[in-house]
Amino acid sequence: MSGFRRRTILKGTLGASFVPLAAPYVSAQGGKPYTGTTINASCFQTTYYEYLKAYFPEFQDKTGIKVNFTMQAFPVYNQRTDLELSTKGSAIDACNITFIYSGRWIGAGWFTPLDTFLKDPKHTPGDWDPDDFVSGAQSQMKNAKGETFAFTHEAGAMLNIASRADLIEKAGLKMPETFDDLIKVCDAIDGKDGVKAFVADKLHHWNWIPYLMGNGGNVFKDPPTNLTPTFASPEGIASADWYANLLMKYGPDGQLSYSDDQAMRAQMSGRANMRTQALTWGVPLVKDPESKVSKTTRFALMPAGPKGNFPGSNSHGLGIPAGSKKKEAAWEFIKWALSKEMISRIVEKHGYPAVCRTSVIKSPKFKEVMTLNGQDVAALYLEVLQLGGKTGYMKYRTVPVYPQIGDKINRAIDKITTKQQAAPEAMKQAQAEAIQDLQKAGFKVDQG
Amino acid sequence: MLTRRRDRWLIHGLAIVLAILALSPFLWLLIMSFKTNAEIFHWPPRLFFPATLDNYAALWTSEFRTSFANSLVVSVSSTVVSLVIGVPAAYALSRWTTRSGNTITLWILASRMAPPIAFTIPYFLAYRYLELLDTLTGLVLIYLTFNLSLVIWMMRPFYDQLPRSLEEAAWIDGATMWQGFYKIILPLSGPGLAATAILCFLFAWNDFFFALILTRTDAMTAPVAVVNFMNYEGWEWGRIAAGGTMIMLPVLIFSFVVRRYLVSGLTAGAIKG
Repeated sequence: MSGFRRRTILKGTLGASFVPLAAPYVSAQGGKPYTGTTINASCFQTTYYEYLKAYFPEFQDKTGIKVNFTMQAFPVYNQRTDLELSTKGSAIDACNITFIYSGRWIGAGWFTPLDTFLKDPKHTPGDWDPDDFVSGAQSQMKNAKGETFAFTHEAGAMLNIASRADLIEKAGLKMPETFDDLIKVCDAIDGKDGVKAFVADKLHHWNWIPYLMGNGGNVFKDPPTNLTPTFASPEGIASADWYANLLMKYGPDGQLSYSDDQAMRAQMSGRANMRTQALTWGVPLVKDPESKVSKTTRFALMPAGPKGNFPGSNSHGLGIPAGSKKKEAAWEFIKWALSKEMISRIVEKHGYPAVCRTSVIKSPKFKEVMTLNGQDVAALYLEVLQLGGKTGYMKYRTVPVYPQIGDKINRAIDKITTKQQAAPEAMKQAQAEAIQDLQKAGFKVDQG
Repeated sequence: MLTRRRDRWLIHGLAIVLAILALSPFLWLLIMSFKTNAEIFHWPPRLFFPATLDNYAALWTSEFRTSFANSLVVSVSSTVVSLVIGVPAAYALSRWTTRSGNTITLWILASRMAPPIAFTIPYFLAYRYLELLDTLTGLVLIYLTFNLSLVIWMMRPFYDQLPRSLEEAAWIDGATMWQGFYKIILPLSGPGLAATAILCFLFAWNDFFFALILTRTDAMTAPVAVVNFMNYEGWEWGRIAAGGTMIMLPVLIFSFVVRRYLVSGLTAGAIKG
């Protein structure tokens, strides 16, 4: 008994002698369990992270996590990340889920479900408020079971952007509200002042779909459950023909090869007037110092078709690859990077326009930033994002093979516009190829 | 006489027009590199405009400078190493009279028998395992595997052409086999070496695919760095043009320096006999 006591006392003394040594270490960590941790994060080049990088030292001071953040051009990032994810690498701890790949990357199980972190108050405090993210933007970051794989940092909301609204006013008309109005306005203003009435970039699988849906068509029968392609339906063929005519008759020469940026430059230099595209491509028309149309640009909701209004919306989110070995630290980073506080600071200091948190979008500062030429564009932006979330019509974009199917749609619209093929043949051929893509990927499609 | 002179003028005129047509994309790129973004999209395009060096200045202060240096290091290294290994190999295969010599030469070409994309995933996984991703050494090794076959296949016909009696004479005079190669054979294959070096350099210098897949930031080469000017929210056209012009520059200089050897080098090994 006495030996036990002596041993206990000796052990206690030995332990106590280390306390002064250990104490400074704990205190140096300042309650930071991740001190010494470095995470690798990446995204394509986007202004949000360009601005956020300046605040990384604050994050490191707060958590002890060092962030090695790399950004690459959009196609470079997608190519590299696709390869890294598909080979289940652990080189990246947090990265962007690109909208066009969200179906493929999430569907293949290459990302970590974040619900476990969200449900655990130890990892996510209640005031972080995941429901604050706009539903339309978040819907593309979920799988069919409703699990969340990313939180969005950038959203695109399709609006009708007129660079020379003065020409529309001069013709005694207003911004078109329906497809018929759009043609009427185009007829009235085309060629006036040397400005073509309409412009679009070459990504018809994004630009044309709202027109298809407005006419009562759809890309798939009932995505994501029934992926039978339906874009060669009578409504789809009529819509493709109508859209090809819009491009051919009212668009500038060479627009079928235009990138997003070239179409924006055509508007910015005053060569083309209206474009139905994400707001991100409209803001520079007003704010870029090189813009010749900063005073004459106006925004409106996408024109509606006989069956309703289906403006495109997209989003890019930050998630954790399944192969990451530092998932908890990565979640700390996502939480910080997309907190209300950080997003608000980026909006206030840099005027960032593509926010996905409702509370920030509704804030007076965002309204101030997004009041363009006296117009409350923030309200239009929120309306489009919420519309996408309510009815789920954007689910077609989350189909894993949509990038391949989109290519077929692009080619079909090109052929119709250049009169290489009539609309029925072009669309039916594209649909047959889409069915092959789906079957190759293991999806079942309805027969006949 | 008059008709012949007129024909000559006509042919020369046609050649000049064709040359201008062939060079017009490069001239367009060069002109673009001295314009602002607003000037690039000015309609109709102006022939005379206020030129700016801002795009080149921006390249110098961006990551492009490091990428350009990476491209130089990787291209020169892979070219030199390919020649150092490939030239003696080509000579040996040329002088090797057994049937298996031809079989081995054919198998050396295996790396060129499939499109690069076929090797993507194996290379990527191997490089990740060997920790060669995003390293200059990794890129040099990749280009070496492709260039080596090119060197052997281009140089072997040169050595086939050279009479064996040349090195045999040297051996009789007391030269070793290596001395015969370095002092007699190698100097005679100058044009072939120049042409082969240019092609090796061009392959490594212009490669986009492997540089895209196997690098991240540290070993990024110039062609990938140029694509990085295509931002999600807008492309920097002026910098893309300036970067493209800068990428063309070393190839033009290198080709100019060795142009004397180039034509004879490309054709000399074509006919055996």
